[in-house]
Amino acid sequence: MSNQREHPSVPKLKAQLRDGKINRREFLWTATMLGVSATVAYDFAGRVAGRSLLPEARAALPQGGTIRIGMRVFPIEDPHAYSFPAQSNIGRQVFEYLSKTGQDNITRPYLLESWEPSDDIRTWTLNIRRGVTWRNGREFTADDVIWNFQRVLAPETGSSTLGLMKSYLLEEYETGETDDKGKPKKATRLWDANAIERIDSHTVRLNCRVPQLAVPEHLFHYPFGILDPEEGGKFGVGSNGTGAFELVEVEVARKAVLRARPDYWGDGPHVDELHFVNLGEDPATALTAVASKQVDGLMNGEPTLLEAFRQQPHVDIHTVGTATAPTVRVKQTEKPFDDVRVRVALRKSIDSEQALQVAYRGLGVKGEHHLVAPIHPEYAPLPEWNRDVEGAKALLAQAGYPDGIDLTLDVRSEPRWIVDMAQNYKEQWAEAGIRVDLNVMPVPMYLKVWFTTNFGITNWRHRPLGIMVHGLAFRTGVPWNESGFSNAEFDEVLSKAEMTVDVEERRDLMERLEQILQDEGPAVQAFFVGEYTVYDKRVKGFRLHPTLYIFGNELGIEQA
Amino acid sequence: MFRFLTKQLSFLCVTLLSVSFIVFMLTQFTPVDAARAILGAYATDEQVAHLTRELGLDRPVLVRYVEYIGGLLRGDLGYSLHFKAPVGDIIFDRLGNTLVLAAVSFAIIVPLSIVLGVVAGMREASLLDRGILILATFCTSVPEFATGVVLLSIFVVNLGVLPGLSPLVADTHWSVAQQFVLPVATIVVFDTGYVVNMVRVSMIEVMSQSYIRTARLKGMSFPRVVVRHALRNAMLNPVTVIFLQINYLISGVVVVETVFGYPGFGRMMLEAALNKDVALLEAGALVAVFVAVLTQILGDLGYRLLDPRIRT
Repeated sequence: MSNQREHPSVPKLKAQLRDGKINRREFLWTATMLGVSATVAYDFAGRVAGRSLLPEARAALPQGGTIRIGMRVFPIEDPHAYSFPAQSNIGRQVFEYLSKTGQDNITRPYLLESWEPSDDIRTWTLNIRRGVTWRNGREFTADDVIWNFQRVLAPETGSSTLGLMKSYLLEEYETGETDDKGKPKKATRLWDANAIERIDSHTVRLNCRVPQLAVPEHLFHYPFGILDPEEGGKFGVGSNGTGAFELVEVEVARKAVLRARPDYWGDGPHVDELHFVNLGEDPATALTAVASKQVDGLMNGEPTLLEAFRQQPHVDIHTVGTATAPTVRVKQTEKPFDDVRVRVALRKSIDSEQALQVAYRGLGVKGEHHLVAPIHPEYAPLPEWNRDVEGAKALLAQAGYPDGIDLTLDVRSEPRWIVDMAQNYKEQWAEAGIRVDLNVMPVPMYLKVWFTTNFGITNWRHRPLGIMVHGLAFRTGVPWNESGFSNAEFDEVLSKAEMTVDVEERRDLMERLEQILQDEGPAVQAFFVGEYTVYDKRVKGFRLHPTLYIFGNELGIEQA
Repeated sequence: MFRFLTKQLSFLCVTLLSVSFIVFMLTQFTPVDAARAILGAYATDEQVAHLTRELGLDRPVLVRYVEYIGGLLRGDLGYSLHFKAPVGDIIFDRLGNTLVLAAVSFAIIVPLSIVLGVVAGMREASLLDRGILILATFCTSVPEFATGVVLLSIFVVNLGVLPGLSPLVADTHWSVAQQFVLPVATIVVFDTGYVVNMVRVSMIEVMSQSYIRTARLKGMSFPRVVVRHALRNAMLNPVTVIFLQINYLISGVVVVETVFGYPGFGRMMLEAALNKDVALLEAGALVAVFVAVLTQILGDLGYRLLDPRIRT
């Protein structure tokens, strides 16, 4: 980092941390975003705190052996179009990512050595790590990175990375053709021919259309694995990669077998082999597989099985807090939800703690109906949100429903706890005179209506930043804005927050965003879920990641 | 016999054709967009339109059906979008696993239920008969998933003597043979009770016939009467039932396969349905119907061999 220019906001950040105006998490997050290496950031924060905060040197891990992990084995041949994190857990052992968001929610360079944003955070210089080699011996260079950028951003690839980077790297244009209804067809392309610029063999520059703070986070999006251009984006047994393992066998819905690569450029691997075993559709098979020691760990555990796992003496239970937000949302443009009093009544009649206990066995933290979690760096605490049944009834009466109101909520049948949550909400709403029918439907059918239904449930996945969730869900007219929420002040403040490097300033803006959502928003979001999993006590080095990513090179297993 | 077979086989062909048409149409009209199902809910419309074109789903349904049948006749079962492999590769592997499970279970169920049914039915209302009847009725009234879970909690969770999961891959703890024990036991417990009842009822009926009484009165020993005179006639009705069990064992064991994570045909169909894997679902339905009709024909054939009166 010494040969790099420090971003102008960094000295101010350091001062804020020293003065206690921001906490350590906020400092670490923003400083690393701005290109300060995690080690330097931890070191500075540690000096302020008067003790070392550097992650302790990992105890030496046992070498050799095989770790077997229970996980659904989906088709994995198209990494840039992955739509389940489970797919990436097989792929990420073979290919790698430009950055890595750790179990501590801090993003560090990975296949990159470092990054440098410009003062206006519109230009990002990506310095590629030297000494990284593909398994076939070739050196990893800027051309590999550029090819992968271009491929994930091409619409025919089908990558969700496109949606993430569209706002700052792409533009929409009319193709000249028209669709069935006579409307002109639109497509996307790079906003500028120079948007992804090759500086030299180990430097790439992103010239963005608009400022973007979360570029390093986006580089770790799970369908953005860095593949060997010579393989054309396909992945399978024997595929090349920069990672610590080679895929030697895969059978969809059965298993995947990965073998350690001896000359890996980074840390590890410590085991000889990593197996992913498909346990099937029934969550209870995970319990029996762990009980009979047919697997050494699981990608994640079902909340309903937590108690049963606690009875298993040979396993450790690992938990992690996440910002995953199961959210009931209304379509704000439709009756009766166009009346803000109805929307607030839906929120006021819910006791968050009860919902969390019933639906998720208390494994998580309470939410405040704005989708920003306490683990988000820019989280701003609002006055405590409490259940108020009488207040909800009064609001309904004012809105013209003195005798209550009848609604139908569309619910996906899986995962089971979503249905439990809907059932609990239904019972709580009933006390305020909101009578709700649950329309439980199979997942494929739900996915067909998730966007159009007037009253539905979306489980917003963990994202490292609160502004990322708000930008996807609540900005006027964006593709995933399913509620039709549109608020000019919200949009303006959000845009400002996305360009604000200073955490304190950003938190002030966030406080306003949270307040708008509580007062007017379309969401009932009582809690954030926590994740848990189990691993055999012999497995060492495992830390549960908020998005359930598995890093095989960090694991070791004691021989039985 | 030739006419019988011709008639049955042409019935089989017509059934298969009808089923293929119905399943194809059903999968076309379910309110699920295949391209969206594959790409996930969050793909952009542009991406979905691209995949729809690539899969050829923008062409008329009948054109696609005729092409599909043409492919079937050439031995091409299609390509599974979920498993990313030719349907033939998957379906025969899974069917093979289920056939092994079925064969092992069948080899236990048939002799066991014949012995128990005959023993119970030869002396109606005896203490032994009552005991077998109660046990058989109890076993068959408990659904397989309940039986499976009870066996799991005893042998896997409490005793730890058997594996709870049957991926059919040997590992350091458990052999493949051990992985068969619980799925087979669950099927045997559930299915034997039913067949025992069938054999027992048939045996009781035969034992009350006058020729049995005659044989006894002329001094023939009881075991000899049972073996020489009663058994063959008593097997006439159950043989059809027994053949129908093959059908259950192949397409009905989805519950057992799911409980034990057994990579069989039923679970494959479940997974295909959940993932909207049309090609696999189509081929699976055809195979299931084929097995159902074929076992019916085999049952009829077996009946004819046992009963000379209709062997013309």
